[in-house]
Amino acid sequence: MLINQIRDKTELMRRDSIEMGYAAGSQGAHFGPALSCMDMIATLFFGVMNHDPKNPEMPERDRFVFSKGHASLAYYAALMEAGYIPKEMISQFKGNNSILCGHPSMNMKYGIEVSTGALGNGFPIACGMAKAAKIKGEAHIIYCIVGDGECNEGIVWEAALNAAKYKLDNLIVLVDINSFQLSGTTSEVMPIDLDALWKAAGWEVSHIEDGNDVEEVLQVLTEVKKSGSGKPHVILSKTVKGKGISFMENNLKFHATPINEEQYQQAIADLNRAEMERKAS
Amino acid sequence: MNGISVEILKEWSKLGHRSAFGESIIHLAREREDVVVVNADITTTARLVNFKKEFPDRIFNVGIAEQNLIGFSAGLAKEGLMPFAVTVAAFVPMRCAEQMRMMLGYMNLNGRVVGIESGCRFGPLGNTHFAMDDIAVTRVIPNFTVISPADPHEIYKTVFAVAEHKGPVHIRLTGAPGFPLIYPHEFDFKIGKAIEVRPGKDVAIIATGSVLWEAIGAAEILEKKGLSVRVIDMHTIKPIDVEMLDSVFVENKLIVTVEEHSVIGGLGSAVAEYKAGFEKAPKQIMCSLGDSFKKIGNYEFHMKNAGLIAEDIAEKVAVNLDFLT
Repeated sequence: MLINQIRDKTELMRRDSIEMGYAAGSQGAHFGPALSCMDMIATLFFGVMNHDPKNPEMPERDRFVFSKGHASLAYYAALMEAGYIPKEMISQFKGNNSILCGHPSMNMKYGIEVSTGALGNGFPIACGMAKAAKIKGEAHIIYCIVGDGECNEGIVWEAALNAAKYKLDNLIVLVDINSFQLSGTTSEVMPIDLDALWKAAGWEVSHIEDGNDVEEVLQVLTEVKKSGSGKPHVILSKTVKGKGISFMENNLKFHATPINEEQYQQAIADLNRAEMERKAS
Repeated sequence: MNGISVEILKEWSKLGHRSAFGESIIHLAREREDVVVVNADITTTARLVNFKKEFPDRIFNVGIAEQNLIGFSAGLAKEGLMPFAVTVAAFVPMRCAEQMRMMLGYMNLNGRVVGIESGCRFGPLGNTHFAMDDIAVTRVIPNFTVISPADPHEIYKTVFAVAEHKGPVHIRLTGAPGFPLIYPHEFDFKIGKAIEVRPGKDVAIIATGSVLWEAIGAAEILEKKGLSVRVIDMHTIKPIDVEMLDSVFVENKLIVTVEEHSVIGGLGSAVAEYKAGFEKAPKQIMCSLGDSFKKIGNYEFHMKNAGLIAEDIAEKVAVNLDFLT
């Protein structure tokens, strides 16, 4: 069943992320924001998007722009499990001369569609790509994941208004609402009514109550694809920062930090337990 | 590329660089379906109305939003289109420098960024509307090519040349309506290949943009005083034509760089940076807008104050003739 297949991939991706981040040693890694959006990326790559790892530049592929590029662990894990990036590279995250840069650097051979990580900058590119598809009469969809903290950036709203103006209904944006950003909770740092703002910008707004539940993510994405509203779509998806690792959940300390051996072992134990529980149920 | 008649070029000379660009891009769009124009609420000001009439589906107005001007254009470029992103030079690159660096430069996309009314042509509007730093900003971004055409014909040639070029390009447009036609006839234009407008052995005046006309005027004044003056059109500031500079360092005894830009980071800097690697190279005088905000005044006022008119350039050379003794 598709849901279980996606869940299998999600579990593998969480393991890949922990391995990559741990291998980066004192360089550390953005564990928290990667784990929050892991289930959404997995659902896109293994349940929604039309793509072919054997042909990364297939013209009719759906496009994926990972605007919250600091959470690259999740993106690389998806690309590994899909077969774009060899798993032997797992130890090369943030390494010298590695393609697995802390923030994704465009590399079509490995399926990295757009360079992102300077917050706010991936989303406007996704909008331009959606307009290009319209101009060229191409039917593929552009998916984009934006962070909730990222929505502080002015360029996000410049681009949102423009996408609504040009009726880019071939664009589906997921906002990863893990409710934390670098220096605090999103409500402390910059309180924003995202629902009201996206609506005011002219977007069709949907909600996911649990963005770490693959079944709900898949259901909402499927509905949104059929919407026919003529507007660009945004899905406000509530997630848990650090989801799946006990000591990282809702813990801002693990936004971006190294983990020690004890923490690594704990993370693996958490993932083992979760896998056993799921398979038992 | 089709040639363009001298009658049309004279008309563009009268109308100014906005019309020269706005009409040239129509000629290009007729030949290439991938060419689109993106602008930040400047369709009328940038003389893009005729383009809009002929290609209503190939021009996009992102509103007064320069960061997204680049963001939207980068997405179009990523998908194989060739966007020309146009707005006032005071705001691009400065307002959207990071987008130009991370989207166009880093990903080496075929975005073409066009700044109209660069330099101090918007004199009476004040410093908010000057672009004295745009070359400096884009020259420092890896992969970017930076071009400052000197006349209507060179604008036309630039528009066609960049269409064949791989990677991002910044086109900087200067000069008021009535800016002179320097190249009335067919001429050879290649990105990165400077043009020797006139030969000369003593002094080499290297200029970029519409102020090339003043450099030519300075050469004529100096010729009357018995000096042999070479004038070079360095339309491409990056990559700078090092072959031409090699020849200048050997054949000329004094270098004068002329630009409607800050003394920091522009053409003069680019020449000096390359010259730093030579044990023996001629002295260089930099004619520029200096390093200061300006008082209010019209274009002529600013160009005169900065010493960027022919007589002033000639005078600066005249007091630096030690090499003759």
